[in-house]
Amino acid sequence: MAQGALFSPAVSPARPGAAGLLWRMVRRRRITGVGAALILIVVLGALAAPVLAPYDPVALNVPDRLLGPRDAHPFGTDEFGRDILSRTLYGARLSLLVGALVTALAATAGVLVGLAAGSSPRADRILMRIMDGLMAFPDVLLAIGLMAALGPSARNVVLSLGFVYTPRIARVVRAAVLVVIRLEYVEAARAVGASGARILARHILVNCASPVIVQGTFITAYAMLGEAALSFLGVGVPPQVPTWGGIISAGQVYLRQAPWISLFPGVAIIVSVLALNLLGDGLRDFLDPRLRYS
Amino acid sequence: MLAYLTGRLLALLPVLLVVGAVVFLLIHLTPGDPARVLLGQDATPEQVQALRHDLGLDRPLIVQFGLWLARAVRGDLGLSIFQHVPVTDDILQHAGPTVMLSLLAITVALLIGIPAGVVSAVFRNSWLDQGSLALAMLGAAVPSFWLGLSLIVVFAVNLGWLPSSGYRSLSQGAGLSLHYLLLPALALGLPNSSLIIRFTRSSLLDVIGNDYIRTARAKGVNERAVIFHHAFRNALVPILTVVGLTFAALMGGAVVTETVFSLPGVGQLVVSSVLRRDYPVIQGVILMVGTIYVLINLGVDLLYFLVDPRVKY
Repeated sequence: MAQGALFSPAVSPARPGAAGLLWRMVRRRRITGVGAALILIVVLGALAAPVLAPYDPVALNVPDRLLGPRDAHPFGTDEFGRDILSRTLYGARLSLLVGALVTALAATAGVLVGLAAGSSPRADRILMRIMDGLMAFPDVLLAIGLMAALGPSARNVVLSLGFVYTPRIARVVRAAVLVVIRLEYVEAARAVGASGARILARHILVNCASPVIVQGTFITAYAMLGEAALSFLGVGVPPQVPTWGGIISAGQVYLRQAPWISLFPGVAIIVSVLALNLLGDGLRDFLDPRLRYS
Repeated sequence: MLAYLTGRLLALLPVLLVVGAVVFLLIHLTPGDPARVLLGQDATPEQVQALRHDLGLDRPLIVQFGLWLARAVRGDLGLSIFQHVPVTDDILQHAGPTVMLSLLAITVALLIGIPAGVVSAVFRNSWLDQGSLALAMLGAAVPSFWLGLSLIVVFAVNLGWLPSSGYRSLSQGAGLSLHYLLLPALALGLPNSSLIIRFTRSSLLDVIGNDYIRTARAKGVNERAVIFHHAFRNALVPILTVVGLTFAALMGGAVVTETVFSLPGVGQLVVSSVLRRDYPVIQGVILMVGTIYVLINLGVDLLYFLVDPRVKY
């Protein structure tokens, strides 16, 4: 265990729980605590949307259309009289869900590609050329192309963005595998007769966890921005579902009379992405100080 | 130098091949017959059959890819379904606003990013440093389309200083063109300055820690000359890399920004093409931007040579 701790600062002998880890991270960088608290608020807001939302997010109420922020509607109403606060709360559900699923998809695919590339020089040449090629497209543009082919839906947004962000995970996993695979304990495992698959799964994969967690946090943030951009352009989640990008897009038409429609969902995006980035910076400093600004 | 250049260009080929393959395969992701998809819904069965034969859709996928690539290399990206004009012409017609917007936005990003990064590093841990880093954090979190709408509300709707949409080309006067492009360039440039701030800061801090900076200070060189003459020039190489990356990200962001400000650029072309399912145009734009991105990165690598005489090829 003492040996393992040398290579992986994340795995300490005491094994503190998630709360303990967070506390130690916050002690190192206090702003990380702000990020964690903000993201907790957004997640709770999304989960409790049915309880917290004062109105139905989709029911039309035309007499109350385009009302400015007031007691009854703290964020105002849109062109159909729908409450912007309620729509923003429900929008958080989709935005967070897309962010989480994109990250899960990109992490799964990226880990598989990264493990293959890191452990086999032949696979490395082919796979990493493909990853380089995929990274040659601006994120949003490649996602737009994929959405054009697949058709607009929440599921396809997850597939497109998951595909777009896979190379980022693959790169950091490959780099970690190339370092870990030379270490003595891998040689030791091989010497006692562990199979290649077992070594990859039990000894190498766990030591790639830190960079995946750090990149994954940033990818969640990118994915939330990406989903908002796609839905804003009208090629993402269909407009019937309240999404932050979709609400901002609808508000664009009423920018002169009712700027609050676009204002509040935008603030929600900024807060969520800022919180995830702060958390990601904190995780990076804590889990691997050598990876700064990579 | 020549050997390096040849090697570098050869290394580009596999990347460009992947770029081409991704764009080629996009059309095969769509449900249904690619020939039907390419020609649109009003095509006659004869036209579809003719295109199927033309594209060799009855042949193996790899052969089809070869044929498609051979055409693309010669600049033949097919015909737009909607306009019935060659896709290459369609893209070139829309290139002006996108090029202007991208150049102005990268200028904005540099004008904010480099000074903020330098100030941040020189006055490390001061309130100026905290402020620059806060700006960088905020910039990374703001969607450029939302920032664009906010700028419209403040500067076009309330103050009435700048137009909220539209485009004037350079031939109509540089001042007028700038007047129309200023808000879009700010909306796109501000968020993209955040990486430049962080990289300028960290790169400069790395250099300032070196012995030759201490030597320069010790022999009495004034602080301004130390920072700009001794430190900044040596910090430039990593900064250039991130400027290249930012420029590429910016081309993607331009797609969204053009929509906000109704600029008739490539971004608007691709978005409207998605909505009318004009696949040849979508493929053409993505292929072109991917290729430009690869070339920009090559250009940045070659710039190292000019900036840093220690870099030998």
